[in-house]
Amino acid sequence: MSNDNELTGADILLKALKDQEVDTIFGYPGGAVLPIYDAIFGQNFLKHVLVRQEAGAVHAAEGYARSSGKVGVLLVTSGPGVTNVVTGLTDALMDSIPIVCISGQVPSHLIGTDAFQECDTTGITRPCTKHNYLVKDVSKLSETIHEAFKIASSGRPGPVLIDIPKDVQFAKSKYISKKDISFREHRIKAGSKNVDKNFVIELVNHIKKSERPIFYVGGGCLNSGHQASQELIKLVNKTNIPITTTLHGLGCFPGEDKSSLGMLGMHGNYEANLAMNKCDLMINVGARFDDRVTGRLDAFSPDSIKFHIDIDQSSINKNVKVNFHTNTDITLTLKEINSFIDSNNIDFGDKDYDNWWGQINEWRKKECLHYEQGDEVIKPQHAISRLYELTKQKDTFVTTEVGQHQMWAAQYYKFSKPNRWITSGGLGTMGFGMPAAVGAQMANPDSLVIDIAGEASFLMNIQEIATAVQYKLPIKIFILNNEYMGMVRQWQELLHGSRYSESYVDALPDFKKLAESFNAVGVRAKNISELDDTINEMISIDRPVIADIWVDKKENCFPMIPSGAAHHEMLLSKYDKENPENQEKGKVLV
Amino acid sequence: MSSTSVYPTPINAFKQSKRSVLSVIVDNEPGILARIVGLFSGRGYNIEALNVTVVDVQKNLSRITIETLGEEKVISQIIAQLEKLVPVHSATNLANLSESYEAEICLVKIEFDNEEQDQKILNFADIYRSRTVQKRQNIVVYEISGTSERINKFLDDLDTIGGIKVELVRSGPIGLGI
Ligand SMILES: Cc1ncc(C[n+]2csc(CCOP(=O)(O)OP(=O)(O)O)c2C)c(N)n1
Ligand SMILES: [Mg+2]
Repeated sequence: MSNDNELTGADILLKALKDQEVDTIFGYPGGAVLPIYDAIFGQNFLKHVLVRQEAGAVHAAEGYARSSGKVGVLLVTSGPGVTNVVTGLTDALMDSIPIVCISGQVPSHLIGTDAFQECDTTGITRPCTKHNYLVKDVSKLSETIHEAFKIASSGRPGPVLIDIPKDVQFAKSKYISKKDISFREHRIKAGSKNVDKNFVIELVNHIKKSERPIFYVGGGCLNSGHQASQELIKLVNKTNIPITTTLHGLGCFPGEDKSSLGMLGMHGNYEANLAMNKCDLMINVGARFDDRVTGRLDAFSPDSIKFHIDIDQSSINKNVKVNFHTNTDITLTLKEINSFIDSNNIDFGDKDYDNWWGQINEWRKKECLHYEQGDEVIKPQHAISRLYELTKQKDTFVTTEVGQHQMWAAQYYKFSKPNRWITSGGLGTMGFGMPAAVGAQMANPDSLVIDIAGEASFLMNIQEIATAVQYKLPIKIFILNNEYMGMVRQWQELLHGSRYSESYVDALPDFKKLAESFNAVGVRAKNISELDDTINEMISIDRPVIADIWVDKKENCFPMIPSGAAHHEMLLSKYDKENPENQEKGKVLV
Repeated sequence: MSSTSVYPTPINAFKQSKRSVLSVIVDNEPGILARIVGLFSGRGYNIEALNVTVVDVQKNLSRITIETLGEEKVISQIIAQLEKLVPVHSATNLANLSESYEAEICLVKIEFDNEEQDQKILNFADIYRSRTVQKRQNIVVYEISGTSERINKFLDDLDTIGGIKVELVRSGPIGLGI
């Protein structure tokens, strides 16, 4: 006989989620999680969002986590339910997003018998999670859930999966609350809590000596919390050092500030990439020297002394060897650098890096993001610029799909705060943006949430419009419709002799009618005269909206460093003024 | 002797490859070996030999010893990746310790046809101070321990005897910092 204060596994799960202050869960039911769904039925602290495909649940949880700084949570059934989330788990692992995925499993006694909807969940998800568990004993369930949340959100965050067999969901045990669990430190990997004083002193000394310093800031800064970006702003203002960010670093530093060189990397700004190439001191704050950022490694910033702040030990010296590093949290380290500078009255005022800024301003004159909007066809760059101008006064979150539209969004939409820009960087997952917008809107019900989409990517998780409609989430899907897998078409044009093999997106639906059939709203801009009105209309509607923006089908995204090329081997657009002779070729090697 | 994998080994790994023996202390829990082996195959590292046993029943700890090949940079990356795994307490490259001891054990079963072969086998077994586990008619089983190098030499020497049949098992190296 079980005694009175024992709960079923399903109830323990709910109690633990409450203890973890989870109020939203994205999920999809099935046989192996019915006891948990039964427990969800009888409670009211937890809002369950029913997605239309499990991939939607995992990307929504990612969007929720990125936009709120909290752990995103999802619930899926065994077999196909969990195999559908493998892409999203991998995405969260690559982009360091804290999520916890609860999956049902066939009853313990059937494990290993090829039972209906059985799969080796922990086996399949081992390489795509930060950690995973199969809970075979209900008495271990409370502890496992609390440890999972701790691991997901500590150190370098990531996805954690807990697989719970159906019989364990029914079995009874005592609940152990979060405060009664003592975590074993070696399992949490939280990084060092002590600031490396020596690192700080060396860095300040090098800043004093350097002539061409630069900050290179990545998603780690985001994950360290809002204070990290405040400390960063202080430090940049104090030192007058230029700063460039990775795709995920956008928003850690105000994009319109004069010290910002914008994004670097494959589609980064001319001035940002050249500054990285020519700097003599690089201060890497939570970036991981991704190949999309470094280009050809042996030509990457050859003459710089490199400092690296990263909580993940394995990111140090992985792709690029650095001279100094620390594994302590970014906020703590930046704070210490600022207070060291203040308490020692170090003044960088006399050291304004005039020559360096002079050089950078020369590079800026290239106006690498310049484009020419004619008076008929909408240029995709212009669509994003207008979207930015017409929404920047609002409290806005932007998600994206993957492709040219994503890069144009990164280039032309300016972010002034962290966590406002939610995109799939490491994995580059088409179909990410719409469910991520669902998650971001759940976390920020009063904000404007826009998914900047390509028509091809949008088709990959289009079913989630129904989720947005059901939960009255007024997300906006802003499609740069070029009828092509534009990024694929661009590579084919530049690298495969314009042989557009399978990159035309034929048989597209009528997105306006499609929106209406889902009980969402569809709007459309066919040419430049309709653009602003369409954007304004989209913003004004308090329901999910699909905006079908017809853009120039042949536009390419520049600057571009072809993969394997070096930072100074950048292709610029046909609009590049200084090279009129190259206009026909549409590209120029610099 | 090297284990082969369906994944091609990156050429880089052999550029300035060094043999290293890594000693990893882990929580003894389901899936831990799969995590470690998966890390090696997924990232294209080599496992030349692998040994796993519980070493502390009370604390539920196992020690995993892995012999691997790679440039120094690769070895440091392997250690950093191992230490990111949740159940891993520590990962150490024995070569980085000021002093460490390494040993391996090998069982060899030898079938021979004639007296001359028997004499030669006996002779080598004696030189290498291997222990006789079994001997009957034309079959002898030895146990030899020591560094992997020493065992290799013993096996090379046996190879010089023509016409015998050798079957063997090796534990892979194990080691301890002192
Ligand atoms: C799931 C997935 N499959 C394939 C790719 C490769 N890929 C990268 S961009 C792209 C085209 C995207 O087309 P669209 O969404 O229309 O965006 P556009 O580039 O036209 O703006 C493809 C196929 C990917 N990133 N993700
Ligand atoms: Mg497209």
